[in-house]
Amino acid sequence: MEAGKSYLVKAASGSGKSSFFNFLYGLNNKFTGSILFDEKDIASFSETEWTQFRRHKISIVFQGLRLFPELTAIENIQLKNQLTNHKTEAEIRSYLERLDVAHLADKKAETLSYGQQQRVAIVRALCQPFELLLLDEPFSHIDDVQIDNATQLILEEVTARNATLVIASLGNSYNIDYSKTLLL
Amino acid sequence: MIKELLHKQIHFSQLLFFALTSSLGLGILLVVFQLFVDTQSLFGSSSDLLSNQTVIISKQLGRDNAFTPEEIATLKQQEFVKKVGGFTNGTYRVQGSVSIMGMGGISTDMFLEAVSDRFIDVDNEDWNWSPSSREVPIIIPKNYIDLYNYGFAPGAGLPQINQDLIRKIPIELNLTGTSKREVYDAYILATSEKINTILVPETFLNYTNQLLSPDKEVRISRVIMEVVNPSDPKLLDFLAKNKYQYFQSELLSSRISYFLQLVLSIVLGIGILITILSITLVVTNINLLILKNKQTICQLHFLGFSRKQIANVYLAISYKILAVSIAIALILTVICKFAFVPFFDNLGVQTSAFSLVYVGIAAIVLFVILAIYYTKHTHKKIKQMTAVNTSLLTTEI
Repeated sequence: MEAGKSYLVKAASGSGKSSFFNFLYGLNNKFTGSILFDEKDIASFSETEWTQFRRHKISIVFQGLRLFPELTAIENIQLKNQLTNHKTEAEIRSYLERLDVAHLADKKAETLSYGQQQRVAIVRALCQPFELLLLDEPFSHIDDVQIDNATQLILEEVTARNATLVIASLGNSYNIDYSKTLLL
Repeated sequence: MIKELLHKQIHFSQLLFFALTSSLGLGILLVVFQLFVDTQSLFGSSSDLLSNQTVIISKQLGRDNAFTPEEIATLKQQEFVKKVGGFTNGTYRVQGSVSIMGMGGISTDMFLEAVSDRFIDVDNEDWNWSPSSREVPIIIPKNYIDLYNYGFAPGAGLPQINQDLIRKIPIELNLTGTSKREVYDAYILATSEKINTILVPETFLNYTNQLLSPDKEVRISRVIMEVVNPSDPKLLDFLAKNKYQYFQSELLSSRISYFLQLVLSIVLGIGILITILSITLVVTNINLLILKNKQTICQLHFLGFSRKQIANVYLAISYKILAVSIAIALILTVICKFAFVPFFDNLGVQTSAFSLVYVGIAAIVLFVILAIYYTKHTHKKIKQMTAVNTSLLTTEI
């Protein structure tokens, strides 16, 4: 994969998309072969390196989102943002606005619908520096209009950082111009 | 924010339980420790020159009540006896005179005895005599000083003397043997509550016996023994069978102190046991706190929070509770100290606030040790919890 390009991982459910993302994000190392990041084998990363990596190099939207239900939407985002102080509160709120969830910012995550939570998780993933953005079925519960808004926001951020984008999807390609499509 | 998030899943009741168990364990340990320090004066040989395990025996009065070498050998063989030594008499007449600060003096006939230095717990340097020494150190019964202070001195218009002053009293010993007469300067090195005689170093007695009355035989009229346990029935049986006499009260107090020491050791043992149990409970409690938050901890970790950042939230709680527990335990200890005072008074134990200094040091040491232990444990748990390939990390929710 190259910097500044977008990739689509397309496969039916249960075929290993999330496992692939877990390998890339360092949550699972039960794979054969090797994954190199900037020519360095990720298997050799120490725990501290991984932590630094997850703060500055890789960002992810999990399929399961993993928001903290007891925190509000904005708290969930700030929790991530405060690690690097990457975005201002105003910026965060404007992103939420663009995805039409700004009015839910102070509601607890557990009270939001899954589609709303997905959008909050997307904004959270953008609140850190990254060279690689992993999105695991990010739009599964979002309507087409909001998907357009979200892809637009994501592509802006990815372009601004000249980062690599990897999206996992069951089939939909969300009108993004991919450099390559991987079929699992 | 991570702090607030993790705190949300911790209940006050849990922390209260944590603090209670911790205070209970530490409290018992410190109270017992304090008790131990305070009662040491009862047992330690520091309070007297002779240890509490010492028994002095003699034969019934009669024509010949000296111990033969065979009898002493038999004593040595007994399993309940640690060491045996004889009292040796001076074989000459002794006249001691004291003059106190030019206010006239007292002169009296007296006697001298010696026991093996092994039984006397004083600095070797002080309890030493050679023909070139300027003065002879002597040890007298504490009763003598009391007699003088409360009986003689007020009547004779003489000043009372205390322990520090005793050493400064110049004593002159006039020794008259069968063949020679000598004068020595002496001073009182110490007093003892357990011996009923006037002791001089063995070297001095042997030397003067030889010098002044070379023709007289040295007899052992009393025997001093250090025993394993003064309340051993075998010892008492043995003494009765051989018709040896001993000071009942002395043996009784030795037995009481032996018993007390035993009881205290048991209490200390139980205290340590309870403390270990309470620490186990506290550790289980920490585990529970962490386990309850397993999901949150994992998510935080792969959001980019380091294990250390997460552990610090729990450690801050542990340290605070530990500090509060130690403070409660210390307060308990101080309260108990004052509650025990009347009992200590009955036992004749001199309690001082100084033992609290030891307790304070023990509390600090305990805090440091436990804090290090909790820190290691918490880090280990968080590491386990956030290891790669754990089911929580790899399966989607």
